[in-house]
Amino acid sequence: MSLRPDQKFDYRHVGYGFLAACALSALAFFGLLIGAILDVRQFAFSYLFAFVFFFTISLGALFWVIVHHAVDAEWSVVMRRQLENSACLFSALAVLFIPLVFVAPDLWAWMDPANAGNPVLQEKAAYLNRPFFWGRTLVYFAVFIGSAYLLRAYSVAQDASGSVRCTIYNRRVAFASIVPLALCVTFAAVDWLMSLDWHWFSTIWGVYLFAGAALSSLCVLVLVVTALRSVGYFKGLITEEHYHILGKLLLAFTIFWAYIGFSQYMLIWYANIPEETSYFILRNTGSWNVLSILLVVGHFVVPFLLLLPSLGKRRPGFLCGVAGWILAMHLLDVYLMVLPELHRTGFRPSILDLLAVLAIGSTLVAVFLKALGDSALYPIRDPRLQQSIDLQN
Amino acid sequence: MAEGTLSPVEERARASVERAPLVAPGRTRGWISDYVSSIVEAKTPRWWWVAISITGTLLLVLIACTTYLVATGVGVWGNNHPVGWAWDITNFVFWIGIGHAGTLISAILFLTRQKWRTSINRAAEAMTLFAVICAAIYPTMHVGRVWMSWFLIPVPNANGIWQNFRSPLMWDAFAVLTYFLVSVLFWYTGLIPDLATLRDRATTKVRKFFYGILALGWRGGNRQWRHYEMAYLLLAGLSTPLVLSVHSVVSFDFAASVIPGWHTTIFPPYFVAGAIFGGFAMVLTILIPARAVYRPLGDLITVSHIDKMCKVLLFTGSIVGYAYLMEMFMAWYSGNPFERATFWYRATGPYWWAYALMILCNVAVPQLLWFRFFRTHVIWVFVIAMFANVGMWFERFVIVATSLTRDFLPSSWGMFHPTWVDIAMFAGTFGLFGTLFLLFIRFLPMICMFEVKAVLPSANPDSGGKL
Repeated sequence: MSLRPDQKFDYRHVGYGFLAACALSALAFFGLLIGAILDVRQFAFSYLFAFVFFFTISLGALFWVIVHHAVDAEWSVVMRRQLENSACLFSALAVLFIPLVFVAPDLWAWMDPANAGNPVLQEKAAYLNRPFFWGRTLVYFAVFIGSAYLLRAYSVAQDASGSVRCTIYNRRVAFASIVPLALCVTFAAVDWLMSLDWHWFSTIWGVYLFAGAALSSLCVLVLVVTALRSVGYFKGLITEEHYHILGKLLLAFTIFWAYIGFSQYMLIWYANIPEETSYFILRNTGSWNVLSILLVVGHFVVPFLLLLPSLGKRRPGFLCGVAGWILAMHLLDVYLMVLPELHRTGFRPSILDLLAVLAIGSTLVAVFLKALGDSALYPIRDPRLQQSIDLQN
Repeated sequence: MAEGTLSPVEERARASVERAPLVAPGRTRGWISDYVSSIVEAKTPRWWWVAISITGTLLLVLIACTTYLVATGVGVWGNNHPVGWAWDITNFVFWIGIGHAGTLISAILFLTRQKWRTSINRAAEAMTLFAVICAAIYPTMHVGRVWMSWFLIPVPNANGIWQNFRSPLMWDAFAVLTYFLVSVLFWYTGLIPDLATLRDRATTKVRKFFYGILALGWRGGNRQWRHYEMAYLLLAGLSTPLVLSVHSVVSFDFAASVIPGWHTTIFPPYFVAGAIFGGFAMVLTILIPARAVYRPLGDLITVSHIDKMCKVLLFTGSIVGYAYLMEMFMAWYSGNPFERATFWYRATGPYWWAYALMILCNVAVPQLLWFRFFRTHVIWVFVIAMFANVGMWFERFVIVATSLTRDFLPSSWGMFHPTWVDIAMFAGTFGLFGTLFLLFIRFLPMICMFEVKAVLPSANPDSGGKL
């Protein structure tokens, strides 16, 4: 079935954008390569920071697609394809993970044979050992890629066939994905981030990473949908009612992120046990503290106050501004998870931080643009499409 | 594919994505008013007298035990050294948790425009209030000198005592009192239009007077509805953070300490999820019998409603299972010998049976709800909800007892054994809860009539009868 022009993305809208993204990606990776030769540890940490940032965005998108099917949602049908496109970036992310394999011992100090005699590490050796670590990483990517691929494949198949069975299949995939997804997110957060300092532990850590992921992927959705609207798509399909719901979800997840962050910080601060406080002492000292305070104000106070009144939530321009701001703050959040472990004396920015974000970001933009034109911009024959368009709230 | 040539599989798929109606077809606005009001207006049925004499007796047991406790001292409970907190805090957390489902249904589902909440929110919210009352008994009694429990409130007093704002128990007092006040306001505001309906239908002077006072002069004018809707929205907004804050603060009672097994960062969301889990189980425990006694209520609280509640039960039960897993994993991963020993003791020590029961009831049994069969057969739902009720009590008992019976000092190790007062008081709170609920059914409309009418297809003619 051929798609109408308003259903299919026309690459003329981005001009040379695709080529530009590819070129930028190549340049940035070249810069990173030189950086890695000059300072491999800085490269390793900068790259992990950028990787985790984009990983959380895809992760959040996958989460929202799963939620959509699991609760049989209606309002989000019209924008679901864009979430599916974001979730499908996992295969690209798996490839982008490969550089970390080469610098792993510089990044995860527990892999360094020099630390093998550490008594705390020996206690954890059954979990923190190389074969198990890489095996787990493979499982994570298999789950993420498999789930995202199936959910998008059935959805695209429905565009052609119009069969409601695709909706039922997707519902089953979503149900089957919930538990593996929760476990994979949690243990990925432990493996890639928490084990940067193998002494430290916190039971809420996986939930904290998830909270940021769910929020930032919504921000990307707001930006993508608004960009597509600005070049003429989704006319009469995505209205201010949809923005209103997106705004409410942004508010809810801003609060959820703060709630989880507060729970973690407050309990560790209050109990004041040395093996737990190390994480926050590092981040609450010197110049890192300035960034930590900025995170609290920027990631919670500012968006909370902006999103609380109902007026702004119905304005696409306003919501895009807030979404962009939250994304910047999420970048800071991930930065504060990773980089203090390298620069333990204080904030020391590096050009590699920027290059890594540009390299991974532009690669993913190129892959996303490719996916955008591969199928219809929204699930054109979903059984709940009309209700989604008629949304009132 | 043309409409006429659908395969049977495709037809089944199409049928299965049709939304179930929120009110059984054929039930009109008039019927809703007549039937729901008739539960209050009809002669008191015999089963009600039987039920209230049972719950009333238990309530008397509670009153007698409380009097005995206040007259004698907290020592009549089995609390000892090292188990200074035992069934009292277990029961407190158990009851306060139950309240959360009511607030979630009435506030959060309202803000998220979930129309299926309309037929269950009134009863669930009433349950919230009654559960909070039951909960409040325990910390009040546990302070020992009950007549001094007002010291928790920061008011100037002659003794020059200033409250310890750093104590989580103090935050508890604030959190629970706020929760109760806002919940009462929210519940009462939502009752007003229905109280006016009862007033207008009243046939006796006493009734007219009684409901007339409670209806606060409601006439159903346009201006009144506008004010009402704004007030209800604001109260829903105020109640929503309370769903999270109250049980988070309750979890701080444990997690802000340095006791292995208590101090862990996942406690606040884990407690909130557990509270919603236990609360939904209790909503099902009381609504399923209510539906059985008043059969036509099944047209308002349909199988589809029960199915949805079961999904919430499954979801929150799985979050609780996730939290159990993370606690265990991190206890091991931390490498901390005390943490490891505590969790090993939990699973294999003398309280292993309580731990096993908790896992069985809260994590294993609710997994049956993945299957539609178990979600749509009311008897099964009731059985699973009972498991969840039991499991949530044992969860709190496991947390309290296992961490306290094994102190850092082996010389302080001990066990906890409940006394008859512990057991009688716990049974007594069920009497209080049941009595209040029976009174509620008898004197107030247990279904929010005007909200259910608003989700009838005839209330939305523009959508072609669709919701």
